[in-house]
Amino acid sequence: MTDTVEYNGITLHKQSEYVWEITQTGEMRSPARVFASEKLLSEIGDDDTLQQLVNATHLPGITKYAICMPDGHQGYGFPVGGVGAMDTTDGCISPGAVGFDINCGVRMMRTNLSYSDVEGREKALVNRLFETIPSGLGGGGVISGDRKTVEAILTDGMKWALANGYATPDDLSHCEDGGWRPDAAPEHVSEKAKNRGEKQIGSLGSGNHFLEVQRVTDIYRDDVAAAFGLQPEQIVVLIHCGSRGLGHQICSDYVRKIEKGHPELLAALPDKELAAAPAGSELATAYYGAMCAAINFAWVNRQVIMHQTRQVFAEIFDQSPQALEMELLYDVAHNIAKKEVHTVNGRDRELYVHRKGATRAFPAGRKEVPEAYRTVGQPIIIPGSMGTGSYILRGGENSLALSFGSTAHGAGRVMSRTQAKKQFWGETVRDELEETQHVYVKAQSGATVAEEAPGVYKDVDEVVRVSDALGIGDTVARTFPVCNIKG
Amino acid sequence: MSYTLRSHTADVAVEATADSIGELFAAIADGLTEAMCEWYPENGERFTITCTAERLEGLLYDYLDQLIYERDVREVLPVEHHAVVTEHPEAGTDEQWTITATARGVPFADVVARDIKAVTYSEMTVEERAAGWYGYVVFDV
Repeated sequence: MTDTVEYNGITLHKQSEYVWEITQTGEMRSPARVFASEKLLSEIGDDDTLQQLVNATHLPGITKYAICMPDGHQGYGFPVGGVGAMDTTDGCISPGAVGFDINCGVRMMRTNLSYSDVEGREKALVNRLFETIPSGLGGGGVISGDRKTVEAILTDGMKWALANGYATPDDLSHCEDGGWRPDAAPEHVSEKAKNRGEKQIGSLGSGNHFLEVQRVTDIYRDDVAAAFGLQPEQIVVLIHCGSRGLGHQICSDYVRKIEKGHPELLAALPDKELAAAPAGSELATAYYGAMCAAINFAWVNRQVIMHQTRQVFAEIFDQSPQALEMELLYDVAHNIAKKEVHTVNGRDRELYVHRKGATRAFPAGRKEVPEAYRTVGQPIIIPGSMGTGSYILRGGENSLALSFGSTAHGAGRVMSRTQAKKQFWGETVRDELEETQHVYVKAQSGATVAEEAPGVYKDVDEVVRVSDALGIGDTVARTFPVCNIKG
Repeated sequence: MSYTLRSHTADVAVEATADSIGELFAAIADGLTEAMCEWYPENGERFTITCTAERLEGLLYDYLDQLIYERDVREVLPVEHHAVVTEHPEAGTDEQWTITATARGVPFADVVARDIKAVTYSEMTVEERAAGWYGYVVFDV
């Protein structure tokens, strides 16, 4: 491969190993960069991801460059795997660059069980988890909330969970931002969003969301793994979901409000789904407050699911969650916009850092990293598919300079859902995973399993390898599924 | 009227054609239903949705958004959609177009379905062509 490649009419110039740049031209307000190996780049270039990345550079105030992570793929408006940092004084904030599922994210819980403790009990475990944790469409939530409950969750985040017996103090101290965004403004969340939220507190949803019991298979950095409390053959639990209908409604509401309120800005953008509110405008303030409230809701959603998981493990293994040392390793968002201070051209600037399908990856020393991990770097959790495993990384030393402190968020899809259902049969995928890899899967429908079959994703090993090589997220440990529930 | 589910890397798209705007919108809603569920039973009460908007694309967005909202709060899967779209050139800026639509709501307890998170504006097309009305919508999964 030469130092210049072209996909769908878009030319990329190789800057250094794994760094590709699209030159600023025309109405673009910045260049764009793709962090990928040649193999991943050929997959990224196969759909409209690169055009969506170019479109993202049209957003006002975009700083340095729009970025596509190694797991990037086509989304709506802003690509999945996209990072865009816009100035908070003369830039903008874009709901479409956050995504509908505000604070979709992942958390990992440690246990003191080893794989041998679980072998032989996988079916009992997966069945009980599936019965206990609502999933799919219409599964309700662990908590049937009222308006007062939703308002409290939107305001207080995981502090509400602690006060109501769903969390421990250590859960909060091991969550991004302590599980609470003080900028939350529930008054800017619509009644429709709150109505949807009442019925879904503690629910996985469907799509690519799941809960997975995993075993640690590989350790790559002993010292960091020790700081994260990870060791070979250890059982951990990974939970992937977001703010459910409440967050989806907030995004839908603000896309329309911004479309009507700032038509002049929208007219200058190549995709209406990029609708953005100018920094300092009433709508920018309102959306940021509503989005932060949804962030709080999502943290509570994952916390309540984790609480249920603790109860199931206690029942199956006949020990208390405390005796099983079921402790939160970390919870990190991958659909979010946050005001963060970054050094740009030698000057500290406050930016709305949009991460849509991208994970914050702050290195050691950054004050936002929880105290427990400040000397080693922020934990990063990158889920793979049901048949390949997941990774735990730590924020790399180059992340602030290269990617506004960000890295990938998963394996990234390469095959559409419609194609997946033609190519895979859910029951067959499930049976093969059980028979050949001893992975026990339980889902609401076979179609969901087919849509999420291991073959629809990029090579997560390659995604993580690029992140590690760039120094934006360093590989710490690898896990492999034991059992998986999904909607 | 007819619709087809179209491939999208992460999400799902619905492409539809119809003789009238109302039929087009209903066909896209039928595609939304199929994206969530391959089979549904015959039970469930019909309910009505009314939306107004400044443009046709905005009307389609609001209609599909409202359907997804009603799905979650009524706890039913909306199926078998009917819609009538009317233009009101004399009305205010935000009320140029109106849709009155109905759907049958199959209780969640009676169906296995998957979530569609939201309607998006990405690649949205609503236009009158020589052969009739054409629409294309991407939904977030």
